[in-house]
Amino acid sequence: MLPSFQLLRPRTIEDAVSLLAKHSPEVQIVAGGTDLLPSMKQRLFSPAYLMDIRGIEGLQRVRVVPGYGVEIGALTSLSTIEDSSYIATNYQVLREAVLAVASPILRNMGTIGGNICLDTRCLWYNQSLQWRKGCGFCIKKDGDLCHVAPGGKICWAVWSSDTPAALLCLNAEIEVADAQGFRRIPLADFYTNIGDARMKLGKNELLTRVFLPESMSGYSGSYKKLRMRDSIDYPLAGVAVAIKKKGKQVQDARVAITGVNPAPWLITGADHALIGREVSEHDAMVVGELAARTAKPLTTSLLTPEYRREIIRVYTKRAVLQAFQAN
Amino acid sequence: MKKELIELRVNGRRHELAVEPNKLLLDVLREDLGLTGSKRGCDESSCGACTIQVDGVPMLSCTMIAASYQSEHGEHEITTVEGVAERGALAAIQKAYGEWGGAQCGYCTPGFMMTVKALMERNPEPTDEEIRHALSGNLCRCTGYSQMYQAIKSAIEAEQKGMAAGR
Amino acid sequence: MSDFSVIGKPISLIDAPSKTTGQGKYADDLYMPGMLIGKILHSPYPHALIKSIDASKAEALEGVVAVVVGSDAPNKYGILPVGHDETALAVEKVRYVGDNVACVVAVSESIAEQALELIDVEYELLPAYFDPEDAMKAESDLIHDHRPNNIEKDYHHVFGDPERGFAEADAFVEGRFIANEVTHAAMEPHATLAYFEFDPQTGNEGRLIVQSSTQVPYYLQHKLSIVLDMPMQQIRVIKPLVGGGFGGKSEIIPLEIIAAVAARKAKAPVKITYSREEVFWAHRGRPRTIIDLKTGIKKDGAITAVAAKVIQDGGAYCSYGVVTILYSGALLGALYDIPNIKYDGFRVLTNKPACGAMRGHGTVNVRFAFESQLDELATKIGMDPADVRRRNLLQPPAVTVNGLRVQSYGLPECIEKVWSASQWTQRKGKLNAGNTGPMKRGLGMACSHYVSGAANSIIRSDMPHSTVNIKIDRDGGVIIYTGASDIGQGSDTMVAQIAAEVLGCKIRRVKVIAADTDLTPIDIGSYSSRVTFMNGNATLRAAQEIKNKIASAAARKMNCAVEEVNMRDDMVWRTGKKPSSNGAHAEDILELVDAPRALSPETGESPLGTVREVSGRVEGQILRGSLQQKRKDEGPKDRMSFEEAVVTAIEVNGALSGTGSYAPPTDARGGKHKGGGVGPSPAYSYAAQVAEVEVDEETGHVSVIKMWAAHDCGRALNPVSVEGQVIGSVWMGLGQALQEEFVWKDGLLMNAGMLEYKSPSSVESPEIECFIVESVDPEGPFGAKEASEGSLAAAIPAVANAIYDAVGVRLRECPFTPERVLSAIRAKNGEKKISMTGGVDPTNPHKLREHGGAVVYKGKGPKRHEQDPSRKAAVVPGVTGD
Repeated sequence: MLPSFQLLRPRTIEDAVSLLAKHSPEVQIVAGGTDLLPSMKQRLFSPAYLMDIRGIEGLQRVRVVPGYGVEIGALTSLSTIEDSSYIATNYQVLREAVLAVASPILRNMGTIGGNICLDTRCLWYNQSLQWRKGCGFCIKKDGDLCHVAPGGKICWAVWSSDTPAALLCLNAEIEVADAQGFRRIPLADFYTNIGDARMKLGKNELLTRVFLPESMSGYSGSYKKLRMRDSIDYPLAGVAVAIKKKGKQVQDARVAITGVNPAPWLITGADHALIGREVSEHDAMVVGELAARTAKPLTTSLLTPEYRREIIRVYTKRAVLQAFQAN
Repeated sequence: MKKELIELRVNGRRHELAVEPNKLLLDVLREDLGLTGSKRGCDESSCGACTIQVDGVPMLSCTMIAASYQSEHGEHEITTVEGVAERGALAAIQKAYGEWGGAQCGYCTPGFMMTVKALMERNPEPTDEEIRHALSGNLCRCTGYSQMYQAIKSAIEAEQKGMAAGR
Repeated sequence: MSDFSVIGKPISLIDAPSKTTGQGKYADDLYMPGMLIGKILHSPYPHALIKSIDASKAEALEGVVAVVVGSDAPNKYGILPVGHDETALAVEKVRYVGDNVACVVAVSESIAEQALELIDVEYELLPAYFDPEDAMKAESDLIHDHRPNNIEKDYHHVFGDPERGFAEADAFVEGRFIANEVTHAAMEPHATLAYFEFDPQTGNEGRLIVQSSTQVPYYLQHKLSIVLDMPMQQIRVIKPLVGGGFGGKSEIIPLEIIAAVAARKAKAPVKITYSREEVFWAHRGRPRTIIDLKTGIKKDGAITAVAAKVIQDGGAYCSYGVVTILYSGALLGALYDIPNIKYDGFRVLTNKPACGAMRGHGTVNVRFAFESQLDELATKIGMDPADVRRRNLLQPPAVTVNGLRVQSYGLPECIEKVWSASQWTQRKGKLNAGNTGPMKRGLGMACSHYVSGAANSIIRSDMPHSTVNIKIDRDGGVIIYTGASDIGQGSDTMVAQIAAEVLGCKIRRVKVIAADTDLTPIDIGSYSSRVTFMNGNATLRAAQEIKNKIASAAARKMNCAVEEVNMRDDMVWRTGKKPSSNGAHAEDILELVDAPRALSPETGESPLGTVREVSGRVEGQILRGSLQQKRKDEGPKDRMSFEEAVVTAIEVNGALSGTGSYAPPTDARGGKHKGGGVGPSPAYSYAAQVAEVEVDEETGHVSVIKMWAAHDCGRALNPVSVEGQVIGSVWMGLGQALQEEFVWKDGLLMNAGMLEYKSPSSVESPEIECFIVESVDPEGPFGAKEASEGSLAAAIPAVANAIYDAVGVRLRECPFTPERVLSAIRAKNGEKKISMTGGVDPTNPHKLREHGGAVVYKGKGPKRHEQDPSRKAAVVPGVTGD
């Protein structure tokens, strides 16, 4: 059962941001709802107002912007992106990451905006109210204690969506709107790496569009995802790689990880390790090592942190090799 | 919470209903419309037992707020398992599930019906791999899925034959 | 091949349309005017005394009709007569996180939920036990006062002379195996609707009607009678469609009792439906099991002795526990010929949800250990694992050393089927030649078996385990009244097939009325794979009784001896005068055609109208112009339709009825030793499997490429159903083998939901090729035995053995999750030790693993008693991750 709320259904961005301005912070935005609604059933969110933004016109599509790249409306469903041959041809890593999200039905419902803003997850947090009473609550919701890092004052709930890793590889920018207008920020600057304050989205702001630059078009890509079940599951670790080659050598490379830190994370130094090289297994392993060092998994999920970090190493290596060997 | 009047289109019929704003579509279908074919299995958007179609696209009705799916301009045409049988006869996929053991306990079956129907409409000749992936948002605990694949292939064959006969 | 007209043929399950159209009603689909909704308050503590419950604020909430607490119904019950340790709601103390404390009944779910938050419960914490080996040491603060050391039950069996057996062995292996806890996760959450009628004489509370998702309506009726202090005949239990059970609905689940108690207190119909989380708390799944196993073998592969010590982490209540721990020992026998067996079994209580019966009840985890160890022994003596299994076959008819009677035994053929289909000799151990990459393939074999129903019922008596009534009236319809509970396995279809086969009629005539204690004779339930064997036999006998009446009437009509009357395919004829099935004769006498009643797609008209058709739909006697009437006037003849024969018999007998019962024969009921009642069955099913796996050496991920599964079900009454059951069993075994387990931290179930409990999706579910072996049991109905459980157990060791074949590591803890497999591979390669399995070596698991997070930090967090064994041992882990 969902908690009680007033439902707001704006039809335009203007309506939406003015409703936000009027009711925030009592308002919670919902698009696909695949993650939020179960959390509301668990009483992780009990907003006075729920603003369903799916009805906002014009944000449900992938649009090619000549001279810039691609604009994806925040309300574009993941399956729409999956079906876009333009994305498949030009932004391979994004398509791979989209295909790895949850299940086909959930991709019909879930949106790219929702995936970018997904709540962080933790086994001690994503539980029912009754269950959380049994564990004494946690720092992220209703409590003052972190079960995975006892004594810590910071929430380590983990970033658990797939596409942001791919979008980081593609230098994506996002557009957010509020009553004053629009602003664009690099996605890389959007995340905080703090589990309970996961992104820099103001209470009055709404994510409206994602932009992929043309300069990143044509990169070969690979996304590898660790999960216990090959469908439905959130990532327990994920690696996205985008590589551009010139001849037989790497001209540019970007690697990002997800599922192991409170934010999706671009691996610094990956480009240096790969640019100018005909990537060997060893080169790929070097990047894997970088990624594994960046990963800071904790006991937020059923698989152990040690294992998830190891998998980051192996999957990074494999994704780099696969992206390099593609086309 | 006060109820609001909403209008839903379900299985080709229009319904005016008074529902709370927080009421899930699944609950409206089951409680207000008596369409109990869609099932609640998991409470957390994982199992697919509540799958319905909105404008032909499979979605989870346990994760949809009913008031968000109002049909104000003819949009949001909702189909449930009760809308699958055609003109008083089982659809090919319904018959095939019975013949090939695709349904054992049957609790997941309505959800699968909606997913498989959408697959067959979208992709009339799916490969084995496409079928396997298309079904992966619905969990079944009885069959191990194998006999469903046989049922789906046989339903596709039956539909193709039926279409050929229709010509 | 068999000469049957209905059985052995693939037919649609008779209830399939109700499932594919959504027409069928499951318990949660039921609605009654004035129905209230019940919601349950659960304990946040694993072990605590309830000092007080103050529900006054909840009761005062508008819309709340009643709040039910333990003292409203304090009578104890439990599925086993020796295990009456549960109450509807907790009385005095709670025993696990999730235990039932109170129930609010309100006009809506949301009001009931709000009211739960208004109930104040004062608890006094007690030390809690989460590890059975800790729990066994406890002397005070016991989970149940009448169970010293928290041991629900222990058994110590010696059959033959194990010491001598080990002395005679040329080699032996011993080791500890741990199988982690799994659950049924049936797609349908439990739901119950309960209400009272009014007594027409007194005007007061009358009969209780309960509609519930249960595998055991009769036991439910029995336990309701105990808890509500009502005679059984005043209680009616109706089973609607059930969305899967797998054992999880094979006993009385708290909500079933609570709903009835609440309906009494609220004086209105009450429906309770569990949330998915509550289903996990209700549980009754397969217990986490520690198996210390030792097996001796001769050089020629003959097993000389087996010694097993089994500890089951049973949770807070007895449930089926005593039976589970007995099955674990008893079913060491009856698969192979083992001359000497020593068994020590401990069913231990812990402060966690109660474990109970789950598909393959009691045998699965021990079979994992045994079949794994058998491969270890094969390696040790240098023998092919398939040959070791062939070397130890029983020679039926046989009685095993522990008193199990085996009459039909298809295991040899099962082994040959999978051996040959998997190209075992050519491929085993040879799949990685020249492969330097990380993906390694392997083959593994394992066998298993299971009972076709327990020869001794839970409530011991000499009464039949199944009774079936059949009625045929002048409409020509055959109605079967059976207590058998179809939970998706297809038992309704099975009884319809058996009756149609015996009566020689088309299955379309047969209607099944099942599992309603007012209408149907008692069947003790759908568990231990007993229904086809026992209810099938009862159906067979009931049908035969009716058939005799029809045949003797037909004999009179055809002027022949009863023995000369043949019935088949809706036709009755004198021997030698058989109508050809498609020819003119058949046309003459058949009234019913199988043409659909829908409008013809070509003409848009009704196909009804021919005499032939019409006479099939109306009472035979009053039909003018029909063939029946015509034939009736013609005097003696040598052929007639089923309907005509029925009408003839009704003229003599009135409406026809037949009754059949089944009780297992006394010589199948096992030995006289303590606990000897569990394990014996009138027949055993057999299974052999080969798994082909691919192991990723860099990630430890195991994919099953293919399973070859052969199952001896005696006779396949419905091959599609048998295949479905076998494949479903193997598949469920693969879930336990690779990805399903309960993860615990300090009594908290970390993954109480379908998202985190990893029931496999279609993507990772492999092809399972099924081979049906028909050993034709002398006592089974048409030779049939069990098909729904026996194959599960082999899947786990088959995968374990295949992993060994692929990468040379022996996993002794299941499931074989990637972290366990990788950690084992790392250890084998002597690579740097990475503790990725919480400090438990999966090749030599010595203790139970807990989730790595911390529950308590410096007195904050959830309250736990400071004397918890787990608390004393706990060093608060720091930030994990190296």
